[in-house]
Amino acid sequence: MSGLFGSLSIALSSLSVSQQEMATTSNNVANANTTGYTREVSDVAAGDPVEVGSLSIGTGVVLQKIESLRDPILQIQINQATQQNSSLNTTLTQLQQTQTQFASSTSGIGADISNFFNSLQQLAPDPSNLELRQGVLSAADTLATDFNTAASSLQTQQSNIGQNVAESVSQVNSLTSQIASVDQQISNLQSSNQNPGTLVDTQNNLIQQLSGLIDVQVIPTGDSITLTTSNGTTLVSGSQSYALTTQVGGGGVQHIMAGTQDITSSLTGGSLAGLVQIRDQEIPSIGSSLDQLAAGLATNLNTANAAGFDLSGIAGGNIFAPPPVGGVGAAAALTVSMTDPSKIAASSDGTTGSNGNLAVLSAVATQPLANGQTPINSYSSIVFQVGNATSNVSADANSSALILQQLQDQNGSISGVSLNEEASNLIQYQSAYQAAARVVSTVNLLLLDAVNLGMDQAES
Amino acid sequence: MRVNPNPMPDLLAALNQTELEAQQAQLQISTGKSVNEPSDNPTAAAQLVENNDQATFSSGYLQSLSAVQGQFSTADSTLSSVTSALQQALSLGVEAGGGTLSAGDLAAIATQLQGIQSQLVSLANTSYQGHYIFAGTITNTAPFVADNAVPSGVNYVGNTGVNEVSVGSGYKIAVNVPGSQLFSAPGNDVFLAINNLIQAVQTNTGIPAAVNAVSAASSYLSAQRVFYGNAMEQATSQTTYLNAAKLQLSQQQNTLGGVDMAAAANNLAQAQTDTQAALAAIGKTSQNSLFNYLT
Repeated sequence: MSGLFGSLSIALSSLSVSQQEMATTSNNVANANTTGYTREVSDVAAGDPVEVGSLSIGTGVVLQKIESLRDPILQIQINQATQQNSSLNTTLTQLQQTQTQFASSTSGIGADISNFFNSLQQLAPDPSNLELRQGVLSAADTLATDFNTAASSLQTQQSNIGQNVAESVSQVNSLTSQIASVDQQISNLQSSNQNPGTLVDTQNNLIQQLSGLIDVQVIPTGDSITLTTSNGTTLVSGSQSYALTTQVGGGGVQHIMAGTQDITSSLTGGSLAGLVQIRDQEIPSIGSSLDQLAAGLATNLNTANAAGFDLSGIAGGNIFAPPPVGGVGAAAALTVSMTDPSKIAASSDGTTGSNGNLAVLSAVATQPLANGQTPINSYSSIVFQVGNATSNVSADANSSALILQQLQDQNGSISGVSLNEEASNLIQYQSAYQAAARVVSTVNLLLLDAVNLGMDQAES
Repeated sequence: MRVNPNPMPDLLAALNQTELEAQQAQLQISTGKSVNEPSDNPTAAAQLVENNDQATFSSGYLQSLSAVQGQFSTADSTLSSVTSALQQALSLGVEAGGGTLSAGDLAAIATQLQGIQSQLVSLANTSYQGHYIFAGTITNTAPFVADNAVPSGVNYVGNTGVNEVSVGSGYKIAVNVPGSQLFSAPGNDVFLAINNLIQAVQTNTGIPAAVNAVSAASSYLSAQRVFYGNAMEQATSQTTYLNAAKLQLSQQQNTLGGVDMAAAANNLAQAQTDTQAALAAIGKTSQNSLFNYLT
């Protein structure tokens, strides 16, 4: 293989490898902005030398493979960070929506409680005044209405979340089925020793999208992968995907099912975990605090009113419809059952001018409810609870976004396409190609000389 | 070390952050509040609810005070008129007891005293905004009814109820003295004293003793009147206190949820500068690569 033809063959290998390298560079440049694309590098090696006598002569250059540069461990970290970030962002969005109805200190339930007790206070100097009595009933009505509104907003939010859960589950199913089908193609390529680079990119990209929805662990199994949730529910096994379903379960909300197994409460990441957390923990907790407050106020005020006498000297009846036993749903059900302002039992002795029982009614404002707090403190605790949860989740979401960003930077530094790098490679490949071409033309000249051995001189 | 060749996501995140900060500063400036959502400062948001509660009650106490103050001054001036009437009765009694008057003169004085008697009944039945203020808590019925069958000539049909009104947190003041305590106290019964004086003048017997009884009742009533004087004083000083408390609450509200305008404006300017810088960085990022220098 030595001699001029040997050199020609070596130059040809160089031309061909340079072309392929330029194709790789070109593909990198083309995909510089493709989401999930991992830059590829050409892996070239010197051709196996041939032994000619005692000499070992090179045979040019060989393109061994085109390799995608990625760090699988970083990929796992990015998936995990995506799961956490997505879960926190979802929780934050929902909590921000929840907290809007607790935002004002001068309107809403808190101010309503203050205004109601103030209306009782206004009645004290003139207890038989019907206008002032009507003021008490109006304040009670506003209070009840705002409790109803708050409860129904929470309920609406909960049912909207239910819809989101169903949509997210169907997205999960669509992604897992795509991942399974890509996995099939990858194992086909790998079994025939071909580079599945861009397919792996596609699969990783899909897994990252899936991480935004649900907690998912990637377990490599030979040429394929298995995806499970962190509690071990299999989502994808090789080319087979397993769909999740939703069904209305306990509490009248959408539960997430893997076959017959309810995995709703075992989700730990992705927006689904965030949605479930808000729907099944935060909102019910706020709702139950509101229920307790509404039930406590209604019961205590009814009791206080029963201790006195109305304008007709009759023992006082209920101001509010009695709350449900146990208080569940009390905020949504709170209604003022008293319609006649003369029925407010301001009098402690049955005379119209007595205001003695107003003190008993007013004392409800400072009387501890079942949670040990006064009504207004119970409400301010709810405000604190909602605000604090939102603020904590917001801080966590910010730091998890920073972590994700850092991981993605790191990933970019390994897998991202650098145009500078590609340009410099291009120059390199171009000169290599030019040099090889030069070799070809030189060999050509030499061959001419060899073939026409001395003829030029004879002719001249 | 190889760097991430695509800084765009980082730059966009930075831009997003500076724009968020600008928005927050703008919201603070436009609302004048630093706590626009509970999450802005959960503790302050909770305290603002309680602050609003206290402010509502302070305003409420002030309203109650102004309501009872009207009643106090009506009662006080009524009792002042009662005292004057009793003074007039005393003068007439002293004149009648001088022993120099004719029967006709005495009869005239007795008639005058009867006039004072009915004036007193009418004063004792004074009402404020439709309610009898000396009736205890039976405020819808005139408490003193003329009744010749009883020695005092007047029956009390009110009760001894006393209403209290809260005028501060845990601070209640009594707002009325029952008419029975003012006008029909045993031993100092105003109506009995007047009725006895009338009879003494009419019969010209025991006038000095009757005059003394009226004098005693008058002194007693003046002493009772001090209640309203004190109440008015209490109301005035509590009004001053509540106004100061309200001011303090509004200062507290401002401390908890108000905006330091200078700081907010500064934050806004800073955020805007940062936004400009981020935009400039983004604008320049994609301009240069080695490709631009290839010929």
